[in-house]
Amino acid sequence: MFQLMGADMHQIRRVFSYLGLTLEVTKLSILSAMEYRVSFLTQVVGMIINDLGLVLVWLIFFQKFTSVNGWGFPEMALLFAISTVNHSLLMIFARGAHHLGRFIARGELDYFLSYPKNVLWHACVSKTDISSIGDLIFGLGIFFLFGQPTFEKFIAFLGISIVTALIIFNFNVITQSLTFYFGNFEEAAEQMHHALLGLALYPQTSFYGGLKIVTLTVLPAFFIAAVPVQILQGFNLSLWLTLLVFWLTTSLLAVFVFQKGLRRYESGSLINVHL
Amino acid sequence: MKRSFLKETLKYLEVAKVNYLNTSVYTVNLISRSVLVVVRIWAFTQLYQVAFAASRSTEIGGLTVPMVIWILMMTQSFQSSTRPHVSQLIDEEVKSGTLAYMVNRPYSYALFHYFGYLGRTFSSLWVNLAIGSLVSLALVGLIDFNWWGLLFGLGLLIFGVTLNFLIYLIIGLTAFWVEDTSAFTWIYSKGQLVFGGLILPLALFPENLLRIAEILPFSQLFYSAARVVVDFDLSLFWHYALIQIAWLAFFGLIAYQMFQRGIKNVSINGG
Repeated sequence: MFQLMGADMHQIRRVFSYLGLTLEVTKLSILSAMEYRVSFLTQVVGMIINDLGLVLVWLIFFQKFTSVNGWGFPEMALLFAISTVNHSLLMIFARGAHHLGRFIARGELDYFLSYPKNVLWHACVSKTDISSIGDLIFGLGIFFLFGQPTFEKFIAFLGISIVTALIIFNFNVITQSLTFYFGNFEEAAEQMHHALLGLALYPQTSFYGGLKIVTLTVLPAFFIAAVPVQILQGFNLSLWLTLLVFWLTTSLLAVFVFQKGLRRYESGSLINVHL
Repeated sequence: MKRSFLKETLKYLEVAKVNYLNTSVYTVNLISRSVLVVVRIWAFTQLYQVAFAASRSTEIGGLTVPMVIWILMMTQSFQSSTRPHVSQLIDEEVKSGTLAYMVNRPYSYALFHYFGYLGRTFSSLWVNLAIGSLVSLALVGLIDFNWWGLLFGLGLLIFGVTLNFLIYLIIGLTAFWVEDTSAFTWIYSKGQLVFGGLILPLALFPENLLRIAEILPFSQLFYSAARVVVDFDLSLFWHYALIQIAWLAFFGLIAYQMFQRGIKNVSINGG
């Protein structure tokens, strides 16, 4: 019993140690990017303008069509808030997940394998997307403008954004890790990522039939778009549980696909200098 | 004179051919791009069927649901074929100093990139269009195409693809003065998304916004060609063609000026 508790405590401490390290690595990346002030500001402001463009399309759309099966501009605004925040969290803290395929195909995992820390974790946190800070600012702004925010709703919003960011992370790890099995799969994985994000940014109530099945399985837009908006519109325990179960399932699958693939990995015999 | 022109043309056509073949080799990449177009068309079909049904109309702005889907299939296919962005390649060449070597080679730097871009674009374009057409056919059926529409649409597409190249060339050339050009690329691609008819055809815009959107360069990249193919109208063709020519001249001049000024920096710094 005490041994089991000891093992649990050890696992929890390990998780916290990795979380602390993730924050430290990301902080260093952001501080180093901030040294180039003009470039930093251009990227952040550029991303905010970029996001505004997307909102503008749907603003025009809902001027012509007032509702799509009960889904109007307020729902779209909530969707944009969640989508930009979860995507930004992923790209700020674990952009490397998006590059796993490239690391695998070019034999660049060698670098991460030579360190004592977990390879998947190390590869994922090795890159930070600075422009995503613009996404984060935009998403929070949209939430406070259109989300009718209360304290409880804001906490729920943050919770949902983190869980959905982890689901997208798992999706990226699974698709990018297919490079272990199929070789040149980076571009295909990239396109799948775009397809998922694309589907997640349409009014979710318009999907039915085969496409609905796609959004529930291969490209799980339902879990990162439809469910979060429903939860924010009114607390729903069963939807929360659905989201958490889906996250857990995809996490197990992602670790399995990556670990099994890693055994097939062949070194690129590359000598890289990482500064 | 005539012979040297022919030789020059053949040289650039060879550049286009090499790029065409180089892109075609990666079939997984080509197919994955088409899959993305397929998913989008599928989503658009369901979205517009529901939206048109909700507004209890079969035709809005002169377009029916099948026409909307065919337009979006074409704009998405055209746009998706132009990747990777030329600005990205030029940006890298300016920063790495490769440009200093390239400008000394026996070809025009801009034409070299232009024909390379055409080769890459057309290798993905026909795959995207073939798969996209099959999917559109299966989802919404065939619409009433007109051979003149296809022919004149092709003309507008060539102008539009060239206009797209010039704008990316300008964005890439800003790397002479700006550290990171990616922000300009995002803003430009969002301009395409809003006013380029990639999600919402311009014909569905409110009247006053439509007038503004039509004279912007974004709508003249891919939307004008798709619109003329789907519903041919000679006066609309001339309207779009004149706007395209004006933008081509404008951006061509800017690109030329920027290149001339930027290249001076290369000579001074030695790349």
